Amino acid sequence: MEPPLVRPDQTFSGSADDFPTLLRRKGLLGPAAIVDPVGPGGRLQQRSWEPTEATTILAFKFSGGVLVAGDRRATSGNTVVYDRADKVLEIDRHSIMAIAGVPATAWEMARVLEHSFQYFRRTQLQEMSVDGKVRALSKLLRDNFGFVMQGVGMVVPIFATYDSHPKPEARLYFYDAMGAQFEVTDYAATGSGSPAVRGILYYENNWGAKPLQKLSEDAAVSIALRALDTAAESDTSTGGVDRSGKIYPLIKIVSREGITTLPETKIAAVFKKTVA
Amino acid sequence: MIEEPYRWVEAIANRREYIEAQLVSGSPIAALGYRDGILFLTLGQARQKIFEIYDRIAMGAIGHPGDIERLRMAAIELASTEGFTRSTADVSLRRLVHYSLSPVMKSAFEQVYGAPYLARMLFAEVGERPEEDLFLRVEYDGEIATSGTSFALTRQDFAALSGTRQSRELMESFLKAEYAPDTSFEAALKSALDAWSVGHMALQTGDAKELPERTAVTRHRGEQLANSGIEAGILERDPSRGIRYRALLDVELRALIHD
Repeated sequence: MEPPLVRPDQTFSGSADDFPTLLRRKGLLGPAAIVDPVGPGGRLQQRSWEPTEATTILAFKFSGGVLVAGDRRATSGNTVVYDRADKVLEIDRHSIMAIAGVPATAWEMARVLEHSFQYFRRTQLQEMSVDGKVRALSKLLRDNFGFVMQGVGMVVPIFATYDSHPKPEARLYFYDAMGAQFEVTDYAATGSGSPAVRGILYYENNWGAKPLQKLSEDAAVSIALRALDTAAESDTSTGGVDRSGKIYPLIKIVSREGITTLPETKIAAVFKKTVA
Repeated sequence: MIEEPYRWVEAIANRREYIEAQLVSGSPIAALGYRDGILFLTLGQARQKIFEIYDRIAMGAIGHPGDIERLRMAAIELASTEGFTRSTADVSLRRLVHYSLSPVMKSAFEQVYGAPYLARMLFAEVGERPEEDLFLRVEYDGEIATSGTSFALTRQDFAALSGTRQSRELMESFLKAEYAPDTSFEAALKSALDAWSVGHMALQTGDAKELPERTAVTRHRGEQLANSGIEAGILERDPSRGIRYRALLDVELRALIHD
């Protein structure tokens, strides 16, 4: 006889399942990669991995919430694979995950994360807390770390969201490849072009016309475009603004009302006026 | 007992009687399709009875809270894993109910040494147009009833669920007579409240065969609204949003009730 689909739950464990656990139980998601530093022959493997997060992502708080911007270039080694990649992904009405790293892993993570939040809301009949969401992403990164050690699937994301409880405010986090999360007050950047971007954001925040948190939307977009263009100037893996192909970075804004994706025409107008 | 066919039939009949008796007190639930979506509505004070299942699917249920919870979890799990592995557009209410929930409920009901599900559920899936809305009612024995989209029946853009068959049938005939589909939200809300009142009156009197007078319905509705909270949720038709379900607050609905 087929086992019944709805098992009578005698163990009181059913509701504790989070979505990745449910997927694994059904065989729909691979097991968490095992971090095994001991190689064949019992020798400790000392391998170093090349950072593969070839891209530039930046995010900072401004007067209208959090702005998250990413270039569009996807590379494999020296080759440009795609010049219209979306690395700034909407997870739910108020959350954005922006990714530097291996796209296959990152997009899968975004998909798991998106479904995790929905699954939690539907089963538990309440929205997952911001801390819970931040932790869920951390757990996915941690599960993936074995692959990172094997030299594949490194992902270093930024997570931006709007918290309504207890005090309404935009919140911004960056992660390392092992899953540690760091909350920032002003700005974050990740990817191969991030050193240049961090320099610019630090400078603007301290000695610019206004601190980042006080900027208007247009001024914020302008700084984001300038920063990405600067990163692209020296980093081959960052697309910046493709002037001849008219390909602009992807910019999304998280505010109390939700997420807005800036239309390309608007970005083009700001670019023409203040950057080009 | 199982070895003797007659005893089995008798056991099933007893079990049916027992479950029906358990479900009798369930407050009715009305689901109505209108121009911009589907409205689920009930009145009550105690437990939540209307739930979001997936992007375009919602559920109303009466019965034992433990059983409702198990079935609700199973429906969410099935829809979520399907939506994750394929696409959210591939999650279908018809398949969820016909292939997954109904067979399980049927076998639980017929295995007389095990516990049946003390629950009766009403599912709805919002379509791109009102003609594509789907309503499915699932009984404790796995039986499925649908409103429309079947060849032999006239399409109905509404469905009802209640503690007794007679109460549900009165709600259905009320809606059939009074409710014009493709209407505004306010009109749907009014019809849903009236249909709920018709069903609730039938549960109270016990042997009502005919629809009550209009004035009696309005009076009953007023009395009940004074003592109970409104629980409601909508599935929005607007395709620009992925997640269509939204729970409605008692206060925002009361502001829309005029007569």
